[in-house]
Amino acid sequence: MSAADRLQTTVAGLDRTRIALYAVLLAMVAFYLAPLESGFMTAFKTPDGFRTTTPFAPPPLGEFTVSAWGTAFERLSTGLLNSALMAVPATVLSALFGSLAAYGLTNLSWRGQLGVLVLFVAGVFIPYQAVLVPLTQFWSFVDLGGRIPLEIVSANEGLINLSITHVAYGIPICTVLFRSYYATIDDEMLEAARLDGASAATIYRRIILPLSIPIFAVTLIYQFTQIWNDLLFAIVLVSNPSNQVVTVALNQLQGSFVQQFNLQMAGAFVAALPTLVVYVLFGEQFAKGVAGDS
Amino acid sequence: MASSIFGALTRDTGESQSDDESPRREEPSVRTDGGTVADSAGDPSNATVGDDASALDRLRRSRFLESIPFWGPPALLVFFFVYGAIAWNFVISLTGWEGLGSPDYSSLSTEMYAQLLSDPSFAAAFRNTLVLLLAFTIFSLILGLLVAILVDQKIRIENTFRTIYLLPMSLSFVVTAIFWSWMYNPTNGLINEALRGIGLDAFTQAWLADPQFKLAAIIFALMWQFSGYCMVVYLAGLRAIPKSQYEAARIDGASTIKLYWRVIIPQLRASTMSAAVVLVVFALKAFDFLFVLFGVNPGQSADILSVMMYRVAFDRIQWAYGSAVAMVLFAMTLGVIGPYLYVQYRRGEL
Amino acid sequence: MARLELDSVTKRFGEGDGSVLAVDDVNVDIADGEFLVLVGPSGCGKSTTLRMVAGLESITDGEIRLDGDRMNEQGPAERDIAMVFQSYALYPHMTVRQNMRFGLEESTSLGDEEMDARVDETAELLDITELLDRKPGALSGGQRQRVALGRAIVREPKAFLMDEPLSNLDAKLRSQMRTELQQLQADLDTTTVYVTHDQTEAMTMGDRIAILDAGELQQVATPLEAYHRPANQFVAGFIGEPSMNFVDCAVEEATLVDGAFRYPLGDEVGGAVDAAADVTLGIRPEDLSVDGADGDAAGGDHAFDATVTVVEPMGDENVVHLSLADGPDLVATVNGLRRIESGTDVTVGIPENAIHVFDGDSGDALHNRSLDDAELDDARV
Repeated sequence: MSAADRLQTTVAGLDRTRIALYAVLLAMVAFYLAPLESGFMTAFKTPDGFRTTTPFAPPPLGEFTVSAWGTAFERLSTGLLNSALMAVPATVLSALFGSLAAYGLTNLSWRGQLGVLVLFVAGVFIPYQAVLVPLTQFWSFVDLGGRIPLEIVSANEGLINLSITHVAYGIPICTVLFRSYYATIDDEMLEAARLDGASAATIYRRIILPLSIPIFAVTLIYQFTQIWNDLLFAIVLVSNPSNQVVTVALNQLQGSFVQQFNLQMAGAFVAALPTLVVYVLFGEQFAKGVAGDS
Repeated sequence: MASSIFGALTRDTGESQSDDESPRREEPSVRTDGGTVADSAGDPSNATVGDDASALDRLRRSRFLESIPFWGPPALLVFFFVYGAIAWNFVISLTGWEGLGSPDYSSLSTEMYAQLLSDPSFAAAFRNTLVLLLAFTIFSLILGLLVAILVDQKIRIENTFRTIYLLPMSLSFVVTAIFWSWMYNPTNGLINEALRGIGLDAFTQAWLADPQFKLAAIIFALMWQFSGYCMVVYLAGLRAIPKSQYEAARIDGASTIKLYWRVIIPQLRASTMSAAVVLVVFALKAFDFLFVLFGVNPGQSADILSVMMYRVAFDRIQWAYGSAVAMVLFAMTLGVIGPYLYVQYRRGEL
Repeated sequence: MARLELDSVTKRFGEGDGSVLAVDDVNVDIADGEFLVLVGPSGCGKSTTLRMVAGLESITDGEIRLDGDRMNEQGPAERDIAMVFQSYALYPHMTVRQNMRFGLEESTSLGDEEMDARVDETAELLDITELLDRKPGALSGGQRQRVALGRAIVREPKAFLMDEPLSNLDAKLRSQMRTELQQLQADLDTTTVYVTHDQTEAMTMGDRIAILDAGELQQVATPLEAYHRPANQFVAGFIGEPSMNFVDCAVEEATLVDGAFRYPLGDEVGGAVDAAADVTLGIRPEDLSVDGADGDAAGGDHAFDATVTVVEPMGDENVVHLSLADGPDLVATVNGLRRIESGTDVTVGIPENAIHVFDGDSGDALHNRSLDDAELDDARV
């Protein structure tokens, strides 16, 4: 079929309903992207610029500036670094623990595993408020900085505490994600491995783990987003300003530049950048994590 | 998330691949016990029924022992950080602890809870929480369902649309709070500008300042962020419905509205339930968004329990009182999860 | 020597009231190098029995011995047994070579070269050498089946266990693999226990077959013995296609009676059924004579008038469904070149030397057909 023929077929295929459908879909796109789009535009405007233009309009010539971005980045750079330092280990560890727990509760048959699993599942839903006060008590008692005589520990105590906390509270959802995946692994294959002489640990290492790569991708992406985006644990557990993570830093930025929207918007984007990039690159995995299955 | 979480609790190992009718495992569906012990070193401690029954005990224990190194450490972490912490929180709520110093565990009473009941700000926060919970959940579900239905219509570049609709979920609430505080800005925020633009000046409000509209504005913004999640869940649910049902209904003469209302949507009950559970639980613990917008004091019209808890515990340093508020939150969560778990159990999906 | 003994092996799932007795007191002695087929309808417990031998199910009662050593407490890894699963259970992320090496790596202390040598040798035996670097996902069903076999063979175990390995293959491939498996087993001379629900496979492949029904062992015998001297009605009906004809009769003075149907018995058979009140008469389709034109015509009181209802031409034979005038409906097989039409009136002969008689209550065989010129009693191996 020539291009012209194809075009003709396409146009003929478009009827009223389809057009309406796409119109609505595009309206929804506008709905979901409007805050982001106007924020993005605003971030490039000078204060005069956003006073004189509508929010979603791009900055007029002469009112275009990247100074907001510069300032925002400057103020958030420590936060970005801290978030990365905290989030990456926490993500990896919670995913690992989730995988191990799911294996022990799924592919190895033993009585009572459903009960233990239910306890994990329930852990997904707890409101963090219910553990905040004990957590603060706990961490001040543990006092890593005081007990471990290493400079690096005392300097980053808040981050370490936060990271460990995220690992612990991330385990339930990671376990759930891995569990639904591991449940689909062929039992007979694992039995064959047993007959071949493999122990439970060998089966995990040589069979389960290599087969887990897709679900690891999903879990890592999803967990990273959750941990990076958290605010509540961060403000409660981290008091040292040098240990501030980016969400807290952003909140402070917002508080100190109340009328300077361009700065706020720029800050918001800078803080959101890692998760945005991850989402754009790995949106499929994120969607699967959100949906809770693989 | 919830439906697949609970679906994850059942082991669905898929259909047998055999192409004849006899099932692969022809025994009734009992769990295999995984065979015998790995080594015969164990001695039968509580065997009562003779040699082979003790072998059974041994094997059960051995599979169990074998599995412990895997789920043990994570379970330990979960046990302490989740269940232990909540128990501790409960104990703290029974003390009168506030300010500096340590809690006094020797004299425990329910004084904090009595205080809660007579606290008007608690009543306001509780009421607002319920409103938020209901409105947010219902609107998010509806919007999510509508979008899912649209996306399910065999459109082109479906993936792009889905990616865009789900994008807000990948953002931190801090980030979205900043965007929405800008959106709701009375003088140059997008909402009011748009209203002015189409001549509806009269409808412009001080969305985040006016007590009448605060909560609604928050609900709207949260719905914006979460409806993508609902869409994902509903899309999966829609995809599970065989196309032949649409065709059969059409042949029976059903209009599109009827088709969806009477045939499709009732079958999405499981998706609705699972999404609703997640939404409600989220609404209960939603904190980040309000905190960024309003700090610790959203005002009586928009204060919710999660913010109140933080304010009471960390701003006013009334630890025990804050713990009590947290326990209320926990109880409410349990009130949602418990029945859901039970229903799933009865349905056999547990 | 790899002699496998199942001694009163029992398997009960669950406990108390809800428990299920899947395998009930099974006794089989399998000689070294023997090919034993466990056969029976679905749900009969044959897979469970096999899994108990493998160590994948615990044994509730009884003992399983390999070379005289009790195996009950040993895990699957220690038993030196290899198994081929119905779904092949290959490791999808490993190449064929890695799949085959896995067992050697995990349960032996052989060096790399020796392991590779064994893999190459086995691959050649099974004609899968070109597939060694592929992954299971890139193989056809038949190829995967060979790899599964290879994985078992390479370990040189004391016994092979096979759980319906051919049932996922199409019919043509299945019959081809049947022959190959037989040859393979004969070459390797390894004790093999083979589970199937297909009685054709059982008959053609096994040195001996063990028939199970509802967890109970019905008979252990050579295929031909099970065919011609079934121990009970279940075995008689299970083995043979089309299946044996059964007529429920009462015994009245050395005559089998079912309504208007009367079958007088001679002294020998009459004596065997003497004590019973209700019996079942069994006669195989190929033993029935139709129209008397094939020789062996039984005349007199063992011939009956009948009408042909349906004829199924199979090519090599015709399966003829008959309705007796004063008797039950029967199925007969006659020469494929004969022309028989539905609706024809015929005479059916039921020769007495070919009948089986089973007890009406227990199903046990009271009398099997005579085999004066058969060579059944020599062992097949």
